Amino acid sequence: MTRNTRLTLAMILVVILVMLGLMTYNRSNAPSAVAGDTGEGVDPAVLVRDDSHRLSTAADGRVTLVEFLDFECESCAAAYPAVKEILATYQDRITFVVRYFPIPSHPNAELAARAAQAAANQDRFAEMYTLLFENQDAWGHQRTPQTEAFVGYARTLGLDLDRFQRDLDDPATAARVDRDKADGESAGVQGTPTFFLNGRQLTQVRTQGDLVAAIDAALAG
Amino acid sequence: MTATLGRRSAANAPETGFLARVTAWVLAVGGGIGLLAAGTLTVEKVNLLSDADYVPTCSINPILSCGSVMTTPQAAAFGIPNPLLGIAGFAVVTTLGVVLLAGVRLPRWFWLGLQAGATFGVVFVHWLIYQSLYVISALCPYCMVVWVVTIAIFLYTTLHNLRRIPASSPLARLAGLAGYHSVILVAWYVVILAAILHRFWDYWSTLL
Repeated sequence: MTRNTRLTLAMILVVILVMLGLMTYNRSNAPSAVAGDTGEGVDPAVLVRDDSHRLSTAADGRVTLVEFLDFECESCAAAYPAVKEILATYQDRITFVVRYFPIPSHPNAELAARAAQAAANQDRFAEMYTLLFENQDAWGHQRTPQTEAFVGYARTLGLDLDRFQRDLDDPATAARVDRDKADGESAGVQGTPTFFLNGRQLTQVRTQGDLVAAIDAALAG
Repeated sequence: MTATLGRRSAANAPETGFLARVTAWVLAVGGGIGLLAAGTLTVEKVNLLSDADYVPTCSINPILSCGSVMTTPQAAAFGIPNPLLGIAGFAVVTTLGVVLLAGVRLPRWFWLGLQAGATFGVVFVHWLIYQSLYVISALCPYCMVVWVVTIAIFLYTTLHNLRRIPASSPLARLAGLAGYHSVILVAWYVVILAAILHRFWDYWSTLL
């Protein structure tokens, strides 16, 4: 065996060992098996925190629909009109909760989530949520930060702009978004939009009709 | 021509050596694999263009994101889709590899031309790797096949040319690198693998 061959094989062996080591280390540090993969319900406390944003609240508290979303995701914008109609139809018969799940490949998703949170700090989450989705074509998929667009929406809503700007840059706002994302990851969210109905991930929902049928079944059950 | 070959036969001795055969195979097989990958990407691009209803899924899975990578401006860096450059370039490389396997001895200027093309390719590929990892934040399996073969083609072409630097040149020592060809190749891949693992560690760790 030449020196070249020996060194090459040694390097490949080292890489394999390091990868195995990382996997073992990671596994022993993993909190527990990811729920959602098992088809079992997810801990309601993870899906809905006290500070999670509710767009509607059920009077009887029986049916809770949670959506993990990314404001820059086309599929989420495609689901938005369906969600809007469902909210109008069911009103106070279901609790609808929005959780942030910005995806790294969307350049402005995290900033948009922070803009929504900055609006939430002034009790205007629902309005910012609507503006972000209805104007996604204008600000989405741009390589540059769309801060000006978001400040413009804050102005439209008549928010305190100084406070909005400050909250947008506040590390606490980013941490709030990160906590939502971490909850999503521990609930087994792999992409957006992901819906949970009464703690169960809806994996077979393709259309508005599917979503309505699932909600009706939960209300009847 | 015969006279020239005869005179330089000593210098050309490595042509028939192990590394020369490896280089020919790398060009032929690597070029062929690159050609297939570029061809597949072109077909997918056409399908993507013809399907107006196409809505990319928003997944944190960085390797199920061909759609998102292919719709970026970086996918047509020179105004035409990158895979078309690949089809042209890899077809030439494959042909050269087969020509070498057939035992044809190519003149030096020909190798320098290949060096120019391979250097352009490897620089372009590293720009794409950077864009994919740190700007687009998504991987695309066929693109990664192109990264792998382009690096191998560049390395073996370069080592071939380094070994032909006249001994009087201060650069002649670099020819010694040829003795560690596969070490260099594997080390190169390991660096890129480490960058991918590091960049998408959050995602990989959810799989374990």
